Amino acid sequence: MIVVFGIGFWAGLALKIGIMAAIVPVVALPIIFAELKLSAHMQHRIGPYFAGGKFGWAQPLADGLKFFQKEDLVPDSADKVVYKIAPYLVLAAALAVFVVIPFGPDLIGRDLDLGIFFALAISSVSTIGILIAGWSSGNKYSLIGGLRAAAQLIAYELPLFLAVVGVVIQAETMSMIGIIDAQQTYEVFGLFAIPYIIPQFVGFVIFFIAALAELSRTPFDMPIAESELVMGYLTEYSGFRFAVFFIGEYIGIFTMSAIMATLWMGGYDPLFFDLASLSDVAANVIGPLVLFGKVAILVFLMIWMRWTFPRFREDQLQDLAWKWLIPIGLMNIAVTAIFKVVL
Amino acid sequence: MQTLDPQAMAHISEVSVSVELQTADMTLNIGPQHPSTHGVLRLVAKVDGERVSSVEPVIGYMHRGYEKLAEVRTYPQITALVNRIDWVSGFANEIPFVVAAERLMGLEVPERAQYIRLILTEMARISSHLIFMSSYPLEIGAATPLMHALRERERVLDLLESVTGGRFHPNFNRLGGVKPAAGAGAQTKKVVQDLPAGFLADTRAAMGKVRDICDDLEGLVTGNEIFQARTIGVGIMPADKAAAFGVSGPNLRASGPDYDLRKHADYLPYDRFDFEVPIGRNGDCFDRYRVRLEEIRQAASIIVQAVDSIPSGPLQAKVPKIIKVPEGEVYVRAENPKGEMGYHLVSDGGRMPYRLKVRSASFSNLSVLPWLLEGQLVPDLIAILGSLDFVLGDVDR
Amino acid sequence: MTTNQSEPGAGEGEDEVAVDSPTEDAIEEAGGAAEAAEGTEPTGPGEPDPIAELAQRFAEIVGAESWSADHGLAKIKVTNADWVSAVSTAHQNGMPFLSFLSAIDWSQTVAVGDPLSDENVEERYELIIRLSSLASDDAITLSTDLSKYHPSIDSLVPVLPGADWHEREAAEMFGIEFRGHPNPKKLYLPDAFEGYPLRKSFPLLSREVKPWPGMVDVEGMPESESGPSTENPEATDGAGVEEEGAGDADA
Repeated sequence: MIVVFGIGFWAGLALKIGIMAAIVPVVALPIIFAELKLSAHMQHRIGPYFAGGKFGWAQPLADGLKFFQKEDLVPDSADKVVYKIAPYLVLAAALAVFVVIPFGPDLIGRDLDLGIFFALAISSVSTIGILIAGWSSGNKYSLIGGLRAAAQLIAYELPLFLAVVGVVIQAETMSMIGIIDAQQTYEVFGLFAIPYIIPQFVGFVIFFIAALAELSRTPFDMPIAESELVMGYLTEYSGFRFAVFFIGEYIGIFTMSAIMATLWMGGYDPLFFDLASLSDVAANVIGPLVLFGKVAILVFLMIWMRWTFPRFREDQLQDLAWKWLIPIGLMNIAVTAIFKVVL
Repeated sequence: MQTLDPQAMAHISEVSVSVELQTADMTLNIGPQHPSTHGVLRLVAKVDGERVSSVEPVIGYMHRGYEKLAEVRTYPQITALVNRIDWVSGFANEIPFVVAAERLMGLEVPERAQYIRLILTEMARISSHLIFMSSYPLEIGAATPLMHALRERERVLDLLESVTGGRFHPNFNRLGGVKPAAGAGAQTKKVVQDLPAGFLADTRAAMGKVRDICDDLEGLVTGNEIFQARTIGVGIMPADKAAAFGVSGPNLRASGPDYDLRKHADYLPYDRFDFEVPIGRNGDCFDRYRVRLEEIRQAASIIVQAVDSIPSGPLQAKVPKIIKVPEGEVYVRAENPKGEMGYHLVSDGGRMPYRLKVRSASFSNLSVLPWLLEGQLVPDLIAILGSLDFVLGDVDR
Repeated sequence: MTTNQSEPGAGEGEDEVAVDSPTEDAIEEAGGAAEAAEGTEPTGPGEPDPIAELAQRFAEIVGAESWSADHGLAKIKVTNADWVSAVSTAHQNGMPFLSFLSAIDWSQTVAVGDPLSDENVEERYELIIRLSSLASDDAITLSTDLSKYHPSIDSLVPVLPGADWHEREAAEMFGIEFRGHPNPKKLYLPDAFEGYPLRKSFPLLSREVKPWPGMVDVEGMPESESGPSTENPEATDGAGVEEEGAGDADA
């Protein structure tokens, strides 16, 4: 990007940070709005339709403003320092993944060689945030929610990584842009390029399920479990701190979907059309649109699953991770490696 | 070499391999304000991690003293009082009480009134079970059946309102029949008012929609693998234990016994209608859910049969202006949606009962909790609690 | 308790169910058979009353003092000593379902409601339990009498676990002591509550403050600054008040 626009390093860095800060509301608020409207229509309701005119598009904005102006409550029996740090830890971990998400051929924070490895590693820091949030609230429900979260999030890290390893073996690189390029050049029988969702379909499904669990979304929302634990680890959080958790969750949805779109669906590259044939500027405008389109499909799937399924019990959840997803993930890696060597 | 005693050896190896952390049970207070306790119920649960070691229900937050209040109310006034016991199925609570008073008075209720009572009782049953259909999947985690079931319930409530004027608390029964007239106050002229025009046709249409929602729920909830994994085999209640505690209604029938008071007690003319009583096999949460779902269908079928064959006639038997019930003692039980509801009425020949004992279904259904919840996991506790389908007004009276 | 015969031509008249003094018949049939003379006649000439047969049969099984079968209620009276064994026997011989257990306070002086019309009724607490069968329509009510001054009886919880909560409620509402109950804490009332609410001697406090207005609750506008007027024409128990044909249930 520095090369493209010919500006200096520090100016480029400032520009990137500015864009990142602007992107957060741009991606989080529409997802929140989509959740509200889609869930409403699935339940034969209308959803928000007062705020901002006919479609209620300003509802997420209004919710955000509402959270900001609430009273700052810290429970008496809470561990104050830890209680205050926890939401920011979760948000920081979610935001840090943005560094490696490729929005366009040149629109990436930094194309690290360890792209996907970095993304998954840094996103697992949010586990600590959730655990300390549950513990420090001074509330037994929060504690139970935090413990459930710890068990669930750690258990589902493994299938997440195993699914990704299959893609990495096929692409022979961990850099995000490198994986997209590898999908462009992956041709079966020399005919046309196909995204990795087809050869790595098993990996895709495993990653999707594990991502739902990492985000604590139904059917894996045991840590929150609204009907049992009031709000689990979020019980004692209100106002601005709750908004931070809330935004963090939806940013996580976006980043996980973007990772899935990049690794399995070709990212910013519309595969039947060669993006390199366009000028740089055009490619960098169409690229993000393509990526957002793919992310939209995946987000719709996530919302759909949330409002259809009940939640798993903790031991059933662990069964699914350890007895099903991990063995299947390992087999996927083995089969991929064999095919890679043979073909 | 010293030969070690295998007994001592086993003890030692066990201790060294599996070192048990000394943990104390945590006392978790579930309720009285909690999203899933159907009202103000407090469960003092001792939990060890996720496993519940003992549960003590604390009730009485909603005790309104019905039995004492009934001693200072005349019989028509009590009719207005008792539909608030199990407020979800309001109309059904009045029936055993008026039948008890009528039995002591020797009153003969006209046919048309009996049919109307039966139709409205079955509508109350549908309404109560649809509330269960909406709240139980929500407790398991599925949020969507809530809206669909409640939407169809609105149709039934609209019908109830068009006849009685009230959705939850109809006050429609009178001693000797149902309310025969409207506008019987000082300001308005008394007008004989029968069922509203179009009620019978609307009822048939609404029952068709109710059957459709049952089919939808079969697809959305019953067939859902996660729902089945959460409810099959959870909270098994053997039939003899259930009967010894007095558990009745769908909770008892899910454990096997084919016992429905609509077939065994003659408080309303159910013997003229053709319906089945659904029973379960295992007595787990899934069976309780399925029994209630099937009961909705059967209730819709009864209503359609009753609507097709309703006779004409007066709505209330002749009763004196000031109603005095002769001396006697009677117990009338009815199949409420929650279970067996009964009134033990002791009359002294006056205008007010001497003693009215209310046997409420949810009280007995809940009394089995300490036995049933011992050793369960916390999410299973919520699932079992929801499957018993109780209402705190019914428990606390 | 007197029973009311509904047919005019019944030759039996009124039967008094004896509570404390069994007749000579009972002393003769010491083997536990019930007194046929103490039960009510079947309805109508020659028509068998299934309720009466049921009551008679169970009275024999449990060894009861007397039984009655009015208005379809099969009521069997046993002594305090036989209470637990009678309930247990009935429970195991075809009546597995516990309906309820409660008490009736027979008292001449009442703080709420109307007093008893018959002055000869003995003052006592009558404990009643209802058991039903799951296979048929049958159900019976067993009852026993407890003295007013020290109402105490053995708890049923060892033989019938479901009686736990019912006994707790009867204990806190009437002040009856159930010996051997595993958890005799209050069920509905707060722990610090004093008094036994369902006893006839316990007043309804809201009615102490404002007497029962009678059939029609008419409250006028406050006449002075001293508060709302509680004066209304029907301040007594509604003697001589006009009411609508079916009773004003919307009061």
